[in-house]
Amino acid sequence: MREIGSESTRDPAVGGGYPRALRLGVCGPVGTGKSSLIALLCKELAADRRLAVVTNDIYTDEDARFLRSAGVLDPARIRGVETGACPHTAIRDDITANLIAVEELEEQFAPLDIVLIESGGDNLTATFSPALADVQIFLIDVAGGGDVARKGGPGITRADLLVVNKTDLAPHVGVDPVRMVADARQARDGLPVVALSRHDPASIAQLTEWVLAQWERHRAGRLVPHDPGPMAPHAHADGRAHTHPGDGEHDHRGQGGYVDAGETHDGRRARVAH
Amino acid sequence: MSATPFLLSTPLPPVVVSPAAPPAGSPELLLMLLADARLPVAGHTQSAGLEPAVRAGLSALDVPDYLTARLRTVVKVEAATAVVALHGLRHGSATGAGAGLAEVESAWAARTPSQALRRTSRKQARALLRLVRHLWPDAVCFDTSGPPGASRAVVLAAAANACGLSPVSLVRLIGYDDLQTVAAAALKLVPLDPLVATSWVHHALADVEELVGELSGLTRPQDIPVAGAPQIEVWAEAHAVSSRRLFSA
Repeated sequence: MREIGSESTRDPAVGGGYPRALRLGVCGPVGTGKSSLIALLCKELAADRRLAVVTNDIYTDEDARFLRSAGVLDPARIRGVETGACPHTAIRDDITANLIAVEELEEQFAPLDIVLIESGGDNLTATFSPALADVQIFLIDVAGGGDVARKGGPGITRADLLVVNKTDLAPHVGVDPVRMVADARQARDGLPVVALSRHDPASIAQLTEWVLAQWERHRAGRLVPHDPGPMAPHAHADGRAHTHPGDGEHDHRGQGGYVDAGETHDGRRARVAH
Repeated sequence: MSATPFLLSTPLPPVVVSPAAPPAGSPELLLMLLADARLPVAGHTQSAGLEPAVRAGLSALDVPDYLTARLRTVVKVEAATAVVALHGLRHGSATGAGAGLAEVESAWAARTPSQALRRTSRKQARALLRLVRHLWPDAVCFDTSGPPGASRAVVLAAAANACGLSPVSLVRLIGYDDLQTVAAAALKLVPLDPLVATSWVHHALADVEELVGELSGLTRPQDIPVAGAPQIEVWAEAHAVSSRRLFSA
């Protein structure tokens, strides 16, 4: 799976010797706060990092306009992609429109450090293709119900980072945020979780530190994009349930399957043979 | 985009008119490949102008006429442009094939007065270029960099040249793709039994053959029919500044 990323993913020098930007995907159901999270990241990072944003609006250019009006980034650095009512397709099956938008921003504003890509609000199964996003955040919120994290889904269980958003609203919606985050951690088997509230500076710091750490790994050439997958964990004939990415791409030799993908996102070197 | 000149951005380098490497696969299969909706060229972002048309009052009942109207106007211009560009790529022109292509491009632009339609074509061309360069690295031997870039018709001609497709196949490809783009968008915009949408496409195939007869022998830019559709152009312009779009165009 070494070649899973886009052609330029590991091109050491794009744009006059400067490595191309880290492409950070932000994904999750409608209303969980993707645009606000991106606005927050822009606000926190814009002073130190050169940023641009691509939004995938389902029905409007609402998200792009929200971000432009938020005043956190030069409006010219925010580009909307129409998805023809196919937000899922645009970030996973046919990523062409998004790649072109990213590349245009990278050309126009070279050099950039991070391009944030906001998916159109979709359902729990939508995740980015690793050929589009080097690393991805999946977002859920307490207002969506305390059981969402437990129900799982590829983004919740295997995205590079899970953000449980709007924790400050928990008392108002009858959700136990501690329990919800514990469920999420259990579902993710060690992958990181951030419980975020925009009123809680410590949680914001956790988020930005994680993003900057990914950027450092990207710059160092140590970031291998991986796919959270659309598939649920499944079992083979031996009856052992397992997942594919996230627990380390493992070897299904003889099944035409996965091969060693090297270091996974949480730094583990995983190679599981059956 | 301001009122940019519609010529290709820079003087075109000479085109090497060499026999392309033998295409992998039969021309029939290559045509199917290029006509496939699963081609990664962001086809799902396009409605071929149907979205603004529906917003302006077009109903599902009108869609078959809309298909025919497009084939007789904007699609005719695009297909003719592609055929002439393909001829230039294969046979060169008196002024050199590169200059010939720039001439074809400006003939297309002159017949496509809507800036929104030109922009859409070039946006689609950019997506198509990614694919064409990946599949046939030597296919695009003219400069497409910088604004405003090449039109979709010219890039399709390059693809056809690389694949060994005939002008007849090229016209069929462009006509068929437009029909299916409208039909697929109709299923989102004016939902109906998909069998009905496919029957529209099936019915219009005869009109595509008419285009084949009319266009596939063209060789000179000045022969590209002048066949605009002011209403489609007005809709395209309105859509480009609309704030609530499902489709890019």
